[in-house]
Amino acid sequence: MKKIQYYISAFLLVAVAAMSLSSCSEDKLGPTIFPDVDETLDPSSYTYKLDKFLNENYLKKYNLTFLYKMPDISTNMNYNLVPATYENSIDLAVLCKYLWFDVYDKVAGEDFLKNYGPRIILLIGSPAYNPTSGTEIVGLAEGGIKVSLFKVNELSRFLNNYYMMNEYYFKTMHHEFAHILHQTKTYPNEFNTISIGHYDSNNWQDRSVGQVNSLGFVTTYASSEFREDFAETIANYIVQTEDDWNHILDLASRGWASGDEDDVTSEFYCYYYYPNNDATQDLVYVSEYNVFTEVDEDGTVHKYWRNNTDDSGNRIVVYDVEDKDGINGAEAILQKVQIAREWLKTAWNVDLDELRNEVQTRQSNYDINELRKMVTEIQ
Amino acid sequence: MMSFTFNYDQKKMKKFLNISLLSLVALTTLSLGSCKNEVDEIFDEDAVARLDQAKADFINILTNNGAPNGGKWQMEYYANANEPGYVYLMTFRPDGSVTISGKNEWIGSVDGESLKVPVYGSQTSLWDVITDNGPVLSLNSYNKYFHVFASPEDIPSMSDEDPDETGYGHEGDYEFDLMKYSNDTLYITGKKYGIDMIMTRVDDGIDDEVYMNEVVAMADSFFNAKIPQVYINLPNGVRWIVKNGATSLLKMFREGADEISTAETHNVIITHDGLSFMNPVTIDGYTIKNFIRQADGSLLCRDDNETTITADNLNNVFMIETFVWKADTTQAGGVFKDNLNDLKTQLNAYGKRKLTSVQIAYNTTLGVYGVDFSCLYGKSTFHPTFYMTAEAVGENQIKFRYTGEGNAASGVYAERCPAFLDFMNNLSSMTFTLETPSLLAPVEMKLSEGGNILYFKL
Repeated sequence: MKKIQYYISAFLLVAVAAMSLSSCSEDKLGPTIFPDVDETLDPSSYTYKLDKFLNENYLKKYNLTFLYKMPDISTNMNYNLVPATYENSIDLAVLCKYLWFDVYDKVAGEDFLKNYGPRIILLIGSPAYNPTSGTEIVGLAEGGIKVSLFKVNELSRFLNNYYMMNEYYFKTMHHEFAHILHQTKTYPNEFNTISIGHYDSNNWQDRSVGQVNSLGFVTTYASSEFREDFAETIANYIVQTEDDWNHILDLASRGWASGDEDDVTSEFYCYYYYPNNDATQDLVYVSEYNVFTEVDEDGTVHKYWRNNTDDSGNRIVVYDVEDKDGINGAEAILQKVQIAREWLKTAWNVDLDELRNEVQTRQSNYDINELRKMVTEIQ
Repeated sequence: MMSFTFNYDQKKMKKFLNISLLSLVALTTLSLGSCKNEVDEIFDEDAVARLDQAKADFINILTNNGAPNGGKWQMEYYANANEPGYVYLMTFRPDGSVTISGKNEWIGSVDGESLKVPVYGSQTSLWDVITDNGPVLSLNSYNKYFHVFASPEDIPSMSDEDPDETGYGHEGDYEFDLMKYSNDTLYITGKKYGIDMIMTRVDDGIDDEVYMNEVVAMADSFFNAKIPQVYINLPNGVRWIVKNGATSLLKMFREGADEISTAETHNVIITHDGLSFMNPVTIDGYTIKNFIRQADGSLLCRDDNETTITADNLNNVFMIETFVWKADTTQAGGVFKDNLNDLKTQLNAYGKRKLTSVQIAYNTTLGVYGVDFSCLYGKSTFHPTFYMTAEAVGENQIKFRYTGEGNAASGVYAERCPAFLDFMNNLSSMTFTLETPSLLAPVEMKLSEGGNILYFKL
C-alpha cells in the first residue's frame, strides 16, 4: 500500500449546547469545577511519575490534558487504531515539552500557549489508514481544541533521527498548531491567491513531490487546499534544516515532466537522458537520485546518469527538464513564507524565524536520556 | 480462589442510562420554562453514582479486591469470527498495570519469528475500567503481544496468498464491555466488534509460561495431524465428521453427507481444560459450545453432558490403510515377548542378523495387511513380511488372520527362524482389545488379550 501521510483539520461546530444552558439561581462559582488534580494522583500508581509530570507541565501550566491512555471513544471509530506504548508516551511527553511548548514559551511568551494552545493532546499508537485512498493520517486537529498524534509506537525507532521525528510528530504539531492559530485569527487572503488553480483536493496524494514543489508547494499535502498549504508552509519552514529547506527550493526551481503529462498519478522527473548518448533516440526521464554532478576547475557543471556508460564507454549525459509550468516555484514558496512571517508577527507577535532557529537548535541538540529524567526522577 | 456472585447486567444498566438520559432531556426542556426543581426519585442513586459504583466493583473483582499482586484471569480471546481463539493470562494490579501473557503464532510474528509455531510472550502494560455506556475494561496502553490483534497493520501471510489488510489487521478489540460477573467468570463483549468472550479467574500463584505451555500441549493432544478426521458423536447416534482440527478452524459435516456442499467451518479456542466454539453451534438439533477434556482424552460437551468428540472407533483407526503402526518391542508382553526374544536369538544365530523394527501396514497392491520385520544383516536390511487380514470386532476389538503367505524374504527367514511363524500364529489366534491414552488422538495403541500385549505407535 502506498502510504502518504497527511493531517486533518476539522472545524467543529461546538457552541450550541453551552448557549442553551440556563440557570434559575445565581450560585456563586468556585475557582474551578475540576478537583485539585494532585489530590487524585496515587503515588503507588504505575504511572504516577508520568501523570505528575503531565499535571505539572501541561495541565496546571496550559490547562491541557495529555491523553496517553487511549480510550476508543476519543477517536474516530471508523478507523482501527491501537493505543500508544507507555514508554513512548513518556518520550513524546518530554519531547513535546522541549521541542514545542518550551519553544513557544521562549519565543512568544508563556501566556501564548496558555491562551491559544490546544486543550487536549491525544496519543495514538498506530496510523489511521484510509485503505481506499492508500493514505494515512498522522495528525489531526479538531476545532482548535484537540490535537491527535498518531504512529506514536514508531517513535522508539526514530529517537535518533529528528528528520523522521519531524515527519511523524513535530511537523505535525506545528502544522496543527498553525491551524489552531488561523482558526482564531484569519491569515491574509493574499496567501490563497498565490497558487490558485493548482490545488487538487482529490489527487494530491498521487502527485510527485518535485512536481508540487515546482508549482509552489512545500509538500504534496500542501497542494490539497489553501489551509493545508498555509499550515504546511509554516510547519516545514520551522522544522526543515537549512539544507533540507534549500533542497525543497532547489526542486521548486526545476522543470518537471512525466511520460504522461495528462496522468496526474504518473511519476514526474527533473532530468532526462538519451540512451547511448544518442539524441536521435527517445529521451528517458531519470530521477534526481540517479544523477551525479561533477564540476570542472573552470566551474562548468556536468551531470551524468549514475553508473552507466554508452557503447563507447562514455558516461551518459543528463539534461535538465525544461521548466514549462510558468511558475517560479521557489519564489511562490518564499512568498508564502513571507505572508506567514508577517501574519505571525502582526497577528500574534511571534517571530517565525526566531521560532525556527529555536526549533533547529533544539532538535539537533537534544538528549532523550536527559529529557526522560524530567519524568523518571520525579519523587 | 475467590467465589462470590456479583451481577451487573449491562443491558439493565444501559436501559437505566437510557431512561436517565431521557429524563435528563425532559427535565432540561422543562427547566427552560420553569424554575420548579422537584423531581420524583426513581432510583436511589443517580446514573453517575451507579456507574462509578459499578466501575469500583469491577476493579475490585479484577484485582482480587485490591490484592498487592492483583488478580489473575484467563481471557478466551477472539479477534474475529474467521480466526481461532487464543488464551491470554492477565494479571490486573491495583496500581493500573497488567501483565499479559500468551503463546501463539502471532506473538512470534511480533518478534520476527516464524508464524508456524506458537511462541510465548509476556509484557506489562496499562489497564483501567472506564465508564462509557456502562463499565468497560480498557487495555489502554499498547501491549505488543495482545494489541497485535487490534493493530491496523497488514497481517503477515501464513500462505502463498497475501492479501493487503492494511487499515484492518485482525480487527480485534482491546476494550470490552463488562456485561456480567458470576462464579469467577466475567462475561465480556468486544466494544467495537461485539464478539462475546469470557474471562475466568485462575489461581494467582500459577506461572504464566508453564500455564501457557500446558494450553499449547493441550491443543497438540487434541488434534494430531496424523489423525485425518475426528467425530462429534451426538446423543442420537449421528456423527459429524470434523477435519482441520489442528488449525482450530473446524470443518464439519454430517457423516454420509457431501463434504463440499454441506461442510461448515467454525472457529474454536483451546483452553487449559478443553475446547469451546466461539458461538454455539446447532447440528442435528443439538446445540454445542463448550467441551471439557476427559481422562480418556476425549472431549465431553459441558452443555448437554452427552455429546463427545473422539476419533473413530479404535479398530477402525488401526485399520486405516495409510497408517503404519510401529511396534514398541520393549513393551511386548506374554507370548509376544517370548516370540520376540526367540526371534532375536534365532536371527543372531542366522549370521548375526538383528531385528531392528516390527510394523504393521496395509499393502494396497495385494489388499492385505502385512507384518514387516526389519532385519539388519551387515550393512543391508531385509524385510521379511507376512501377510494377514484384519477384522474389526465391536468398537474396540480386532482380529488378525495370517494368510500363510508373505513376500519372498519371508519364506527364507521363516525357514531359518521358526519364531516368525510362532509370532504370526499367536497374532492370528487372539481377539485383541485396543486401548489408547487419547480417544481423540489415538496415535498410540495397546493391543492385548489377557497378558499378551503389543504396543504400537503411529
